[in-house]
Order: sequence, then C-alpha cells, then structure tokens
Amino acid sequence: MMHLTEEEMIEQAYGERENTVAVESRFARHLAVCPLCEDAFAELKRDLAEVDRIQAPARDDLYGARVWAAIADSLPVYKPKPRTWWAIALSSPWNRGLAYAAVTTMLVSCAFYAGRLWEQQKRQLPVAIVSPVPKKPQQPKQPIVVVVLDDHLDRSERFLVELKHADLDSTDMASPLRDEARSLLTANRICRQKTNKTADPELTTALDHLDTLLGEAADAPGGLNPQSISRLQEEMNADGVLFEVRVVRSRIAHNASANNPQKGGTI
Amino acid sequence: MDRNDHAAIQAVLAGDKEAYGALVVRHSQTLFRVAFRITGNEADAEDAVQEAFLRGYRKLEGFESRANFGTWIYRIAVHCALDKVRRRRISEILRVGDSDDPELDQIQLADDAAGPDRLLLSGEISAMQMAALQSLTATERTAFVLRHMEDRSTAEIGAALGIDPNAAKQAVFRAVQKMRRRLAPLRVAT
Repeated sequence: MMHLTEEEMIEQAYGERENTVAVESRFARHLAVCPLCEDAFAELKRDLAEVDRIQAPARDDLYGARVWAAIADSLPVYKPKPRTWWAIALSSPWNRGLAYAAVTTMLVSCAFYAGRLWEQQKRQLPVAIVSPVPKKPQQPKQPIVVVVLDDHLDRSERFLVELKHADLDSTDMASPLRDEARSLLTANRICRQKTNKTADPELTTALDHLDTLLGEAADAPGGLNPQSISRLQEEMNADGVLFEVRVVRSRIAHNASANNPQKGGTI
Repeated sequence: MDRNDHAAIQAVLAGDKEAYGALVVRHSQTLFRVAFRITGNEADAEDAVQEAFLRGYRKLEGFESRANFGTWIYRIAVHCALDKVRRRRISEILRVGDSDDPELDQIQLADDAAGPDRLLLSGEISAMQMAALQSLTATERTAFVLRHMEDRSTAEIGAALGIDPNAAKQAVFRAVQKMRRRLAPLRVAT
C-alpha cells in the first residue's frame, strides 16, 4: 500500500481550494484503512494548530492617518491628462446615450447592407456555376441604311439584268421596266443623299451612274421603246453600271458579314 | 472593486493627491498585519507599509481599474515586507562575519533560536515559534505566513511572491517541514 506523503498531508491539512473532490475522497479512503497515515496526519494537524497565528500589535484608528502624513509630502501630484473632445462629449449621459444609439444604428445598417450583398452574391453564384452560359456577344450595331441599300442595290441589279436582256422586239416589257425605273429612281436619290455622308466614293459613283440610267429610263420621251432600251443598254455597258452595282453590293454584304460573323454572309 | 477605492483612484489620477489619503487610511491596518507577520517586528512592518503605499502611488497609473485595489496593494506590501526580511538577513550575516570575536568567527550564520529548556521554563513558547519562523528563508517564511496565518491559497501566494503556484506550494511544504523539525523538542517536552 502506498502511504500518503507529507506534502499530500500538508496540502490536505490546509484544505487547498484547488483540491478536487476525487483527491479528497481518495485521501479520506486511505486514512480510513491506514492507521499509520491516520496517526501521521493527526500529528501534523496538531503541530500546525500549535503554531500560533502571530498577532500583530494593535494599531489605533489614527494609524492610517499617521502613515499618510508620513508619506504625503514625498508624493508628487498627478497631472490630469488633457481630455479629448470625445471624452468631453461622452461625459454627459445624454450624449453617451446618443452616441450608443448612433453606433448601434450604424452597426445595424452595416449588417443589413452586408447581408443584402451576401444575399445577392449567393443568388448569383449558383447560376454562374450550374449553368455557365457564355455571355451573349453584344450585337454590333447594324445600320438600317445598309439593309435598305442592299435591298435597293439588289432591286437595281435585277432591273439592270432585265434591261440588259430585254427583248427589243417585244413591247411587253417596256411599261414594267419604266415603272420599276421610276420606283428605283426615288429610292436611289434617297440612298444617294444618305451615302454622300459616308464618304464612300465607289458607292457614290455607282449610285450616280444608276441615277442617270434610271432617270433616262423613267423619263424617256415617248416612253421606253426598242430604241431607247437599246440606247440604255449601250450606256449601261459603256459605264459598266451593272458591274459596279454588283461589286458594291458584294462589298457591302462582305462588310456586313465581317461585322456580324454569326449572322451568315448576306443581310 | 470597491466603488470608494475606484473613485479615490480616479481622483488621484486627476490631480487630487489628498484622495490617496483615504486609500491609505482604509488599508493600512491590513497591510500592517501581514507586514508584521512576515517581518516579525513593528519597525520593519511600519516601514514596509509606508514603502508599499509609496510604490502603489507611483504605479497607480498602471493599475487596472477592474482589479481590486486592496488585493493589489496587499501584494505590494508582501513584496516590501519580503524585501525587508531579505535585507535584514544580509545585514545580519555581514555583521556576524565582521565580528572580531574568534568564537563568533566560527559561526557564519545568525541563529536566533534559543534553547528549548530555557524557553519551556520561561513559558515563551511563542518566542520559540517566532525563532522557528526566523530560521526559514524569506520566501518560505512569507509563503508560510500567507498560507497559515492569512489563509491565502497557493495561487494567491504565488501571485503575491511573483512565483509559480507550484513553487509557492513547495515553499509552503518546506516551511512546514522546517517548522515541525524546529518545534519537535517543544512537542517532546510537553
């Protein structure tokens, strides 16, 4: 059997506050079964009880005052620290209450704002992860005038093709050609006005030649007859109007497809 | 912390030196009691009390308002009393060493212990106990006084002495062992 050490007994005798219940119960159990330790512990307690508490000589009520009188002269005076503006402001209970309220309001506002940001991020995040839809490229601005111009050039090209292959012996085509020429002439003039601002010399030249040709076809004296059609065919071939129109139209279509590759080649 | 103590400290730090007087009056008796138990004489105890209040005043700016001023100044007083005991020990050793008496030259340590017979005969048991206390080192004596007479816990003793609680516990153990050995003749005689 392990006997208790003197240190354990001293600790127990003084009832150390840090002692756990388990330690104390183990100590008591051992004393109950070990007469040697029981005697030793009793002797220790008796010894400690015999050591008197040293009684300090009594000091009268003026003792404290005498101590103070003895040291007071040697003590420097503390210089009060200058009060900061906020310390002065907070010295009033009313101001302190206001300050607390302001700080609380600010904290609540910040928390609310942070919460909203957090919610927004949470809402956006799954969409970005689950469905990584590529961002739709921004649609390039497609000038309406290009579409109209292409349409006009298309009609003009067809008109020129019909004029080139017109049957000089038949008069059936004369009237529809003239009507088409008149219609195209109006559209051509509008296009010319618009394209003058674009500083595209090829287009301007082509529209000028087309204007001359369409004007003669629309306003041919006595209407379109085989002679006038033949003359127009010669002028058309001489100026290469059909070729010019095709080139310009092709270039416009190419530019349009270059600006918008996903849309295909033609407008 | 005592509201009065707190208010007095604030007043002192604000420039009212006299407010410290109230603290001195309030805690002097407690400090004297512990200082006397450690030093064993009135003059040293009174010096220790004054020294404690002086040190406390100089360190007052570093005193944390949440702490208890009574506990704080008590620890300072323990330190001051301990210093007194240590200085006295050194001066006594030097005094014995400087003696011209060849008989005393053979004894290098001061010994206040009187013979048990004389003590028993004169009935000065408490004087013998005091002598036993004096035989302890300054730390052991202080630890024993704080444990046995001031009912302080090991942690509090450690804090007061500026040592680890385990070291404080060991100091108490050693002090009790030495005291019992020194007082053993008294026990046999009775």
